[in-house]
Amino acid sequence: MIKRLLAATSIVTLCLASGASAAEKIEMWVRSGIGESFKKVVEAYNASHENQVAMTEVPFSELVQKYATAIAGGQAPDALSLDLIYTPAFAAAGQLEDLTDWAKGLPYFNSLSPSHVKLGTYQDRIYGLPLSVETSIFAWNKDLYKKAGLDPEKAPTSWEEIEANAEKIRALGDDIYGFYFSGGGCGGCMIFTFTPLVWGSGADILSSDGKTATLDTPEMRKAVDIYRSMVKKDLVPASAASDNGVNFLTFTNGKIGQQSLGAFAIGTLVTENPDINFGVTLIPGVNGGTSSFAGGDNFVITKGTKKIDAVKEFLEYTYSMDGQKVMAKYGSLPTRGDIADKVLEGLDPRMQVGIKAIEVAKTPYTLQFNDLINSANGPWATFTNAAIYGDDVDGAFSNAQSEMQSIIDTGQ
Amino acid sequence: MAGSGPGKALPVRRRRRHSQWRGLLYIAPAMALVIVFFVMPVLFTGWMSLHNWPLLGSPRWIGFNNYFRMANDARFASALRFTTYYTVIVTIAIFAVAFPLAIFVEKHRRFVGAYRTIIFLPVVVGLASASLLWVWLANVDSGFIGPALRALGLVEKSPNLLATFDSAFFTIIVMVVWKIAGFTMIILLTGLQAIPSELTEAARIDGAGPWQRFRYLTLPLMRRTIALALIISVTGSILAFDQFYIMTSGGPQNRMISVVYYIFNQSFVSFNLGYGAALSIALLAILVVISVMQLRLLRVGEDRP
Repeated sequence: MIKRLLAATSIVTLCLASGASAAEKIEMWVRSGIGESFKKVVEAYNASHENQVAMTEVPFSELVQKYATAIAGGQAPDALSLDLIYTPAFAAAGQLEDLTDWAKGLPYFNSLSPSHVKLGTYQDRIYGLPLSVETSIFAWNKDLYKKAGLDPEKAPTSWEEIEANAEKIRALGDDIYGFYFSGGGCGGCMIFTFTPLVWGSGADILSSDGKTATLDTPEMRKAVDIYRSMVKKDLVPASAASDNGVNFLTFTNGKIGQQSLGAFAIGTLVTENPDINFGVTLIPGVNGGTSSFAGGDNFVITKGTKKIDAVKEFLEYTYSMDGQKVMAKYGSLPTRGDIADKVLEGLDPRMQVGIKAIEVAKTPYTLQFNDLINSANGPWATFTNAAIYGDDVDGAFSNAQSEMQSIIDTGQ
Repeated sequence: MAGSGPGKALPVRRRRRHSQWRGLLYIAPAMALVIVFFVMPVLFTGWMSLHNWPLLGSPRWIGFNNYFRMANDARFASALRFTTYYTVIVTIAIFAVAFPLAIFVEKHRRFVGAYRTIIFLPVVVGLASASLLWVWLANVDSGFIGPALRALGLVEKSPNLLATFDSAFFTIIVMVVWKIAGFTMIILLTGLQAIPSELTEAARIDGAGPWQRFRYLTLPLMRRTIALALIISVTGSILAFDQFYIMTSGGPQNRMISVVYYIFNQSFVSFNLGYGAALSIALLAILVVISVMQLRLLRVGEDRP
């Protein structure tokens, strides 16, 4: 009896063991707020492959610290969709798997988004590969434009025009507002949607070598004034003052006339809120010109993971025609230049604006991006709230300018 | 007779030594817990504070540089200022609410058990859950407080309570009092109940009014209880973190960064574990000093009954 029992259990154990070795389960993290594209490509992959990806969404403002603590505690996921800006910092810390040989063997390696690969490269070795590309754009609600007596097909080209339109839209009703932004100290949201106002007119918040903070410019003063004026005229919902990024997609509720969004949001609007009739254009600068923030995520693999082959298989799937199509449908611009046109074929034509934005877009390059810009308590996040909502604009400028400079100086 | 002296003393000493060992044995489990979970981590934190200890990468010995840096750290100074401000206000608010409540529920009246339970109920809610609940209550559009004020016609437009420092700070104080006052009330209640009713009666016969009885009888007899409640409240307030992190993420324009919040930011956002450790040691020292001062001021331990 006991013998039979033993035999039975050992057979069960064998089955379980072999079952486990046949299909790998990849642990993967992704930051919140980048839309549905990655979720959908994981779903598509899991449905068609034996290996499975278990995805965990981490709040975007905490991803870096959570990943770093997880590495320090030996609990890191196998792979990560990492804001491309952070790839150099983690590669420099020696925590990422070297992908150079494998990446260069990919037949389409040379057509992968070059800025992503550049930021994924550290000391001539490649640690990160492009996963998603996103640019910031300006969106307006065509139905509200029509109701307010504006031409719904005419994209606004200056902030004076945007403000005037916002006033007309605000007059439509109690809960209809002309403009929205996440103003409660969301550094990530504001670098994405607000800095294009100064970039478009030739100014920047950091010098080109990243060693001097150049926040206090006439262009930035003007941009702050535009937002302040819209807040003062009650064209922006009161909730914006404390929105730390959770409600970045408020435009999707249909009661916001205009908002600067990301290309991901186009995908979200088209697929999840098809009843919202909207147009998109490039974000105007304060003194003319247009600009955009080119961001997105790099795919990185935690050093020492045992499931590296399965992870590579997943990444190859996202680069395939099927994978790219799924990503693009939900708003991520194609990462492979060689098949970009085919991928976008038949998709919403507004995605083309997102692609056009790449030509005028900027990406600030600094190893201290988290401390300076993204951290909820960093100088940039504090500045955006203090300058737009505070009583002391000059103080907000001088505080942020000196704190940014001191962070840059101590980091060197 | 001469020889019996030492002969008698020996067993006594032996017995004493014997019982000392036994006493040590009894407290050994508690000591082990304290050593493993408090003394060793504190020593290790102290060791870390003498290094430049990044979260990723290898630590480097820098002596007392972290402590020198602290002395010139304006952000640490402002975190200390804010924490002091918060501690003073919230402690006064908690006592102002908890003391009348304790007196109220001490008397035997109908439904007193139900009152005690209801007032104590928020205490069993986790601080994080309570904070999230109040984030919703204070939400400008879909919350309760703002829309209710508007529906009552008290304000024209629903206010965004968490958008300005004063209203956000007030909201947090109300939340913490709602959450903590019940606990302080229970502590004060035990002190009130420990006062023999004969004393109160004697004072009443002597012609003391209610205020005089409270001032010259109740308060002095409750000194130890008040000291306990005060130390718990002050320590808890100095270590406050959750409510600021969850409800305002550091507050409008970073004005609600408490000391623990700053330690958290230094350690896990800026990855300076060493500096975070030095700040923690400094905070520990501050807490010890404050607790000793409170015990001295309230003269606890001098007059054993």
